[in-house]
Amino acid sequence: MKLREVAYSRSGDKGDVSNICVFPHDDGDYEWLREVLTAELVAKTFGDLVAGTVTRYEIPVNCCLNFVLTEALAGGVSKSLRVDPHGKSYQSLILDIDLPERQVRS
Amino acid sequence: MRLNIGSGSAYANDRLDTAAAMADSGRVTYMGFDCLAERTMALAQIRRMGDPGAGQDERIGALVPILKNFLEAGGRVVGNFGAANPDAAASDFASGLARLGITGTRIGIIRGDDVRDTVLTHDLELPELGTTTRALGDRIVSANAYIGADPVVECLQQDAQIVLGGRVADPSLFVGPICHELGWSLDDWDRVATATLAGHLLECGVHSTGGNFEDPPYRVVPDPHNLSFPLAEIDDDELVVTKLDGTGGAVDVRTTRTQLYYEIHDPAQYLTPDVTADFSGVHLEEAGADRVRLSGARGAARPDTLKVLVGVDLGYKAVAEISYGGPGCVDRARRAEEIVRKRLEPIRDRIEELRIELHGVNTLFGDRMRGGEPAEVRLRLAARALYADVAKAAAYEIEYLYFGPAGGGGVVTSVVPAIVVTPALLPRSDVPLSVEVISA
Repeated sequence: MKLREVAYSRSGDKGDVSNICVFPHDDGDYEWLREVLTAELVAKTFGDLVAGTVTRYEIPVNCCLNFVLTEALAGGVSKSLRVDPHGKSYQSLILDIDLPERQVRS
Repeated sequence: MRLNIGSGSAYANDRLDTAAAMADSGRVTYMGFDCLAERTMALAQIRRMGDPGAGQDERIGALVPILKNFLEAGGRVVGNFGAANPDAAASDFASGLARLGITGTRIGIIRGDDVRDTVLTHDLELPELGTTTRALGDRIVSANAYIGADPVVECLQQDAQIVLGGRVADPSLFVGPICHELGWSLDDWDRVATATLAGHLLECGVHSTGGNFEDPPYRVVPDPHNLSFPLAEIDDDELVVTKLDGTGGAVDVRTTRTQLYYEIHDPAQYLTPDVTADFSGVHLEEAGADRVRLSGARGAARPDTLKVLVGVDLGYKAVAEISYGGPGCVDRARRAEEIVRKRLEPIRDRIEELRIELHGVNTLFGDRMRGGEPAEVRLRLAARALYADVAKAAAYEIEYLYFGPAGGGGVVTSVVPAIVVTPALLPRSDVPLSVEVISA
């Protein structure tokens, strides 16, 4: 199952740092997402797009997982030679992550 | 007392008709205009170097007639229209008003965010570039501190109807009017955090009303061609974000929370010039159609340092592209890449950075989402070099591919200055600000 089927996202940039926040379509999936959508999994998916670290902030009141990726934009919007120097499209790459099948909620 | 304040712009080229809709709506008494992004400021400084009367927002002449009725009705406008040249922005407003026969408008000018001389004498660390300001010397073309709401409030207290500055921080454009009108003290940190929350949701314009949101079939909003800038209704007890009636898009819990943490790292420590804001406990609640009520922002003392964006001249950036289509298009494009790399060998050591990739295959994510053979691809070269002739030579190698593998077409090349902006920190005391209110 792709993350896109159960969640939505938005990415933004500050300098060479990208943040991607992820929210479940159904708030009832938040606890499950918190278990499966780890910083390690995001780091593995982004691979060498990110030269720095991936940190995950949890914001339960809004069912948000906020991933902060450092050295993630090839120097940032003004320096990068990438097509998408802001990393606007990162919100779509994260939604391509394959998740294990969800347990049926009780 | 309840204040209605709307967004009028989220960046330097934002839509004027969306601003006009807000100005003519009768819904707001204040409009905040964010005109700057990280790179905009450095580009404005370059314009000013070429012409001492330039470097301000380039839409002011077109904007003044749009704001005529709003201003005549007593509406007030706050914006970082100044970019690299606040005085020139004030002059553009004054001449625009004069052309419409409007006299006596008070314009507040905020000066002091330009700290280029200061960063050169302080030898500041530039962590993202791994160097210091002194080491870069005259490659530093600009340095602007993100400044807060205090000078905005000062201008409003002096009855300025238009307030403009250079690098006034995005949310501060809204924090100033909110604190001024509601009588909130700028060291009442919870309230400044609430005003900052409002500003954060307004300063990105349609990002709060359905822009950068749709992903069919999962996320769809009505009439995405006709989005509204957001507006906030705020008083001592309540903050509601909404949009104009009769527009497309949506303001609901989904669109609002998506923007709530946009460009925020630790949600409990969002640093602005005005406050250390904690948005980790912000509660959202739908309060009618396209209305979201927000509560629970908390604040702590503002940082002692101000973030400065330093603009550095790193030479020239070349981008050049050529398309291949039909059977074998990826193989022909790869062949073209081999030719370009071989041809660039003699000047490769003078190219600081080089990327060659294929639109339709790997430009955004590398090879992470590789699918089947595309119907067409576009080979893209991007290169940075300290000297323009080297950057141009790299771009021309793409043009010469007209004589490379069969069927290459649609060459576009460009070479532009590579002005890089990079963050640094300055003590607040090193950024003295001043305001002047003139009568236009």
